[in-house]
Amino acid sequence: MKFHIIAIKDLKIVIRDRNAILLMFFLPMIIISVAGLALGGEFQQNIQIDVLVVDLDNDDISKGLVEFLEDIDILDVDMESNEFAARERVKNQEYGRLVIIPRDFTQSVITGQDSELLIINNPTQESQNTVVEKILEGYASRISTSVVAVKTVAAYGIPVFNEEQILQIVGVAGQFAEPSPVAVISESTTSNLGEFSPFTQYVPGFAVMFLLFTTVQVGSVSLINERESGTLRRLVTAPISKAEIIGGKIASTFTRGFVQLTVLMIFGHYVFNLNLGSDLVALVILIAAITLSATGLGMMVAVLVTTEDQANSISSLLVLTMSAIGGSWWPLFIEPQFMQDMAHFTITAWAMDGFYDLLFFDLGLVGILKEVGMLVLMCVVFFGVAVSKFKFE
Amino acid sequence: MNDHSIITVENLIKKYNGHTAVDGVSFDINRGEIFGLLGPNGAGKSTIISIMCCLLESTSGRVTIEGIDIQKDSFEVRKIIGVVPQEISLYPTLTARENLSFYGQIYGLSGKSLKNRIEILLDMVGLTDRADDILEGYSGGMKRRINIAVALLHNPKILFLDEPSTGVDPQSRRRIYDTIQELNRAGMTVLLTTHQMEDAEKLCHRIAIVDKGKLIALDTLEGLLDLVGESDIIHMIARDFPAGAVESIEKMDEVQKVSLDRDSMAIQLLHGRESLAHIIDILISSGTHVESIQIKEPDLETLFLHLTGTRLRG
Repeated sequence: MKFHIIAIKDLKIVIRDRNAILLMFFLPMIIISVAGLALGGEFQQNIQIDVLVVDLDNDDISKGLVEFLEDIDILDVDMESNEFAARERVKNQEYGRLVIIPRDFTQSVITGQDSELLIINNPTQESQNTVVEKILEGYASRISTSVVAVKTVAAYGIPVFNEEQILQIVGVAGQFAEPSPVAVISESTTSNLGEFSPFTQYVPGFAVMFLLFTTVQVGSVSLINERESGTLRRLVTAPISKAEIIGGKIASTFTRGFVQLTVLMIFGHYVFNLNLGSDLVALVILIAAITLSATGLGMMVAVLVTTEDQANSISSLLVLTMSAIGGSWWPLFIEPQFMQDMAHFTITAWAMDGFYDLLFFDLGLVGILKEVGMLVLMCVVFFGVAVSKFKFE
Repeated sequence: MNDHSIITVENLIKKYNGHTAVDGVSFDINRGEIFGLLGPNGAGKSTIISIMCCLLESTSGRVTIEGIDIQKDSFEVRKIIGVVPQEISLYPTLTARENLSFYGQIYGLSGKSLKNRIEILLDMVGLTDRADDILEGYSGGMKRRINIAVALLHNPKILFLDEPSTGVDPQSRRRIYDTIQELNRAGMTVLLTTHQMEDAEKLCHRIAIVDKGKLIALDTLEGLLDLVGESDIIHMIARDFPAGAVESIEKMDEVQKVSLDRDSMAIQLLHGRESLAHIIDILISSGTHVESIQIKEPDLETLFLHLTGTRLRG
């Protein structure tokens, strides 16, 4: 295989290009810093999600859940004691969503019985609803672990009466298991959600936008240059397969994009204390999936246009449109529903969903499977079109 | 195909969107010869060479190189050919050495053998001193020399050059001629396309003349010039050639052929200088405004005019 020879040559050309380095790293760093610092206050005010809570249990664990919700910066939590009145307020669109904590919730949890947290949503605010659902799912998941632990212990005939005992049980179980179950439970009464700071939005947002410039614009122009300058034709007359030539171009564009996105996330972490989540493997997989789909889009643009000028203008249009509606510049969930629906035809929206899942909700690899799947699907479609239409002449 | 053939082209046809770019071309190229495809821009030369280099697929016909059918096993063919494209197919922000190293690796060279080969070629094209300079700073001629060196990295049996001297200063052109002749003396078969008569006349053992996708003549330079014989060509630029005047010129005993091409007339005739006065008399008396007159002795240009009625350089 010789594709790596082409990839290394391309990377050498990029490293020598000071403008490319500026566009890849320094410009996004400056924009992230300026946007994050300048728009921080405005940002915090604009992304509040209202939640009405009815606590029918009003016991230790339900109170803990309410406190947990109130601690989350982006949630604006109000309480309502009357379930009927609460439902009416959501129906009248006074609130976007209602969370009902059932009677005997605390008792069910500590005695190892199943219980349900009910969310009633206003369907026109799907993304905000999704945010709240994910927060509650994360909480429920940790509580469920407690329930399972209690059920397991109860199955051996040992009665359990309170949360303190549950923690003791799980603590003992943790000595025989991986460290992670203990960690999950120990965080159950506090938030393990990352802080939703302006940088939770702007670091991945602008990093993805500049990644798209690198892969879609610079990537497609690089391939078109190779065709226009005749170097592609020269390669075709050499003993190297067309698959290796395309593979080399993909490998170089992918590597460039992957390094760029990774460096910008590390920059966000060290300079602006961006929480990268607890699952770095999942983060690497997400970055790889985003870069791969963006590389595919670049290849598709390269085969669908004929000149460098066309590639530049079409790429700019695509990247800026995807960034605007896909959630690079503001959180996706503050957009109207029709824009959110449209956004999910873009790489940016799935990328941002994945970043929220890891950086804010800390859902780990399982939490980003849908986003990674959609990005890989996009990548397959883009590469499919690119390969079927690719011309070496 | 004869025993000496290294390349055989049989009834090659290439059509693009209903337009026939190459129309039933057949020829053999002998081992160790320099073979030229001569014709004006758009004649089909580059299409023919592109098919032979495995860049384009023919609509029909067959090309074999060293007995290998290029449609059946182009990969093997690509190992034994070197291609010098018309454009500078190099990476301008890399140095000459880096360009050579990249293409060398593509041709399967590595380590010491690659390094040695690069040094030999840099020496051959006279650019050892500039080897580590970024290509952007090179003159057009220097870039073209590196463009040729790249095609020689794997020491190919056959070298294809598409318009090798286009846009090159006289000094670089001379060096390119020397390089091609040196390679040929070392046993390399060379096929070049050109619309420059000088290339064909100075380099080629045999020349195929191509026009409008067809091969219209193929021979050695001497053999081709014999087709024109003792004739001269008078090339005249004028306005308003009256039909009667053209007819009168055609009736002259010495005139072999008259070709009209927009506002120019090419007259092929024996003993041109003696007949010129008579021709001018006819034209002036018919009211033709003659702007220039040129008498040419037989060369490839006159041969091309003789064969096609149009000038080689359009």
